[in-house]
Amino acid sequence: MSTKPVSTRRSFFWKAGAALSAPLAFAASGAKASAVRSEVGPDSTVRLALLEDVDAIRRLNQAYARHVISGDHEALAALFVDRAASQAALFVDLAGDFEAGSELRSVSSEHFGEHDVIDVAPDGKSATARIHCAVELEAPIEPRCPLVDMAREQGGGVVRRSGRGVLENEYAKLDGGWKIRRCLYRSV
Amino acid sequence: MQIRYPKEQMHRIRYTKLTEQQILDKLAAVGGTGPTSASPLEDLSEHAGGRPVKIVTDGGLVLEYRFNGKNRLSVAENGGAAVDAGYGALMLGDVGLLAHLLPGTQRGYAVVADTNTRLATVFELWFNGYDDKREVQRQIHYGYLERPGQEPPQARHTLTNRLEGKGFYWKQDTGAETLELFHTAEYSNFVELTRLGGELGFCGPSDYVRIDDDRYVYSRVECEFSGTMTLYVLDVNRAKQIGMRLGFDADDALEYYLFNGTGEMVGQIARFEKFGDYGTTIPQTRPLPNTKGARPVYRPLKTNPIMSKDEVEAAIAKSTTVFAERNAMAGNKLPVSELLVGKELTLRYDDGGPAVSYEFDDAHKLRWRREGEGSWHEERYEAWESAPGVVMFGHLLSGAPRHDSFAVVVDFDNALTSCVNGTLGTPYMANEASRKTWFGVVETAGLTPPKYLRHRFTYDLVGHALTWEYSPGLTSMHVYTTPYSFSWVIFLESGAGGLAWSGPAQYVKIRDGLYLFNWLEEACNGTLGTLLINTKTMHDCGVGYHCGTDGLRLSSIGAIARNAGRFDLMRFYGPKAAV
Repeated sequence: MSTKPVSTRRSFFWKAGAALSAPLAFAASGAKASAVRSEVGPDSTVRLALLEDVDAIRRLNQAYARHVISGDHEALAALFVDRAASQAALFVDLAGDFEAGSELRSVSSEHFGEHDVIDVAPDGKSATARIHCAVELEAPIEPRCPLVDMAREQGGGVVRRSGRGVLENEYAKLDGGWKIRRCLYRSV
Repeated sequence: MQIRYPKEQMHRIRYTKLTEQQILDKLAAVGGTGPTSASPLEDLSEHAGGRPVKIVTDGGLVLEYRFNGKNRLSVAENGGAAVDAGYGALMLGDVGLLAHLLPGTQRGYAVVADTNTRLATVFELWFNGYDDKREVQRQIHYGYLERPGQEPPQARHTLTNRLEGKGFYWKQDTGAETLELFHTAEYSNFVELTRLGGELGFCGPSDYVRIDDDRYVYSRVECEFSGTMTLYVLDVNRAKQIGMRLGFDADDALEYYLFNGTGEMVGQIARFEKFGDYGTTIPQTRPLPNTKGARPVYRPLKTNPIMSKDEVEAAIAKSTTVFAERNAMAGNKLPVSELLVGKELTLRYDDGGPAVSYEFDDAHKLRWRREGEGSWHEERYEAWESAPGVVMFGHLLSGAPRHDSFAVVVDFDNALTSCVNGTLGTPYMANEASRKTWFGVVETAGLTPPKYLRHRFTYDLVGHALTWEYSPGLTSMHVYTTPYSFSWVIFLESGAGGLAWSGPAQYVKIRDGLYLFNWLEEACNGTLGTLLINTKTMHDCGVGYHCGTDGLRLSSIGAIARNAGRFDLMRFYGPKAAV
């Protein structure tokens, strides 16, 4: 087996999924065998396993985006290796200058996923991904004051900002399934 | 007859928490007779020609009516057994309003039907749907009048923002006169000119339904007050209305009557949704509960608990903050002015107000003492130069038993000053601010103050609406509704006006285009806000004075304004001759 990690390019994102008609669809399909680097080797069993891993990670990311948009934190937490840590980090680490308390409110594909990369480790137990995306972040207006409190009554009292960047994700395969170990957003 | 000023305004009345049985007992008297009316009612048995009238709604509710004369009907809900009830109906052109209760229950309906298009909107009404059982609840059902052999119409009445921004004066056949300003997509601001003397405006959650380009349905519930519903069909071209009022007044007497009225449009202010947004839905940033009749309602005392005097003192002892660095209300504040630094002033106020001497050591430290007092008191302050020669500053009076604050305008050009003195505690709430406003003169080297000229209370701003952007994500709109009150609006993410509330206010004219405005968030969070509004720069500065469980805060305010328009209201206010 090759000692090099296995990468895919293209089509990490994007499928016009019904549940994600708005801004994002993380593609579960669209992976091509040709997307796997040729240095993987001719063993079709290995190639198939890798493709299945890549596909599973895509579906994991798809679920991640769907739950971010729906705000289903319970479902989001279930996607992570460490449920408690994932919630503490609000399901994404932000690298850069962001307002305190910023939370991810939506994430959507950039460039049809053309520049996205998934690297599956040779032992098939871990993986990383770089996902180009657009995000919407929300931070509570602080400190609180009466007008902010009133705005919060109707879901406001927050500062929203959008940006483009890269999700740098780490994954682990546990009990035959993939989970997110870490999700880091870095502005570009 | 003397003008009817209430002993207490609506926000001060302790409305009885009526029980379910009390409500049933009060409704029992009218379930079989229907609403009263000062004007002749329609005989829907004639309109129906003896045939049943069936209303089918999209949500599944089906009402089948048979009418007997001007005030008796039977109604079957969803194919159930028919129930006899009293009713009342009025017509406005082709549009009819039918109202009835279901005897023996706390439920009823108000049906608006366009006999021309056959479209119908049903307001299902009930009591006992909230903690405060007297508050009328409603669910809106859109549908049509079913006619045998005819296809159902495809169109429907819809929610709309086409009324948002409009304001009306109404005079009902009951003699009641009101101003009703539709200043948000889901709230309205109303002034009871005759019932309450027109001193203050109040706000309630409201529905706006479009019938056609001329005609709309408006309803509001006086949540957090009496819980009364006012619902009417209005024709904006003809300025006519037919409506219904249902609820319990301050004496717990049932109000259940139909009315018609005439009026006039008193103006329109801007609305801020994107073009193409007609308000057929109002996207909520915070999802509403999945319960029947759910709507956004601002309930200020739920989020701002009433504190005792001991709790206030403990909170202040724990935390008193003066001009904190981080402040969402001051994201757009004016630069801190150094104009006062090094100055020595005495501000002498008229009519029992104090004479206060100041020395300003730097841009944040002042010393003050009352005339005749030997020692100086040191305070942190901030000052802003709103217009050339006019400075506003604010500070606490440390150690004052009522935790006083001063918000002061100094007009060096005219040697005039105004001061809003905030204190904590009212007969209603220990954490609620009250205020006195003083006018006076500036005494300092080189200035000779006028003998008679003073800043003065003004009505210049009454009717105007200004939006205020305090910081990113925090924008509100002020509607200066009456000479003694105003309303504020919080925008939804779509730009539609959302929640709104109101409070007593004062307006002082400093000079043309420059106004000292203060308001009290009474029966709410207790804040006293004092702003110097410059309508030329469209920028304000000022101070907020607030005590909550987190302590006492004196904080700067600074926001940028947009002109949102004006209602022509002043002519409806002021002392009137009794009729």
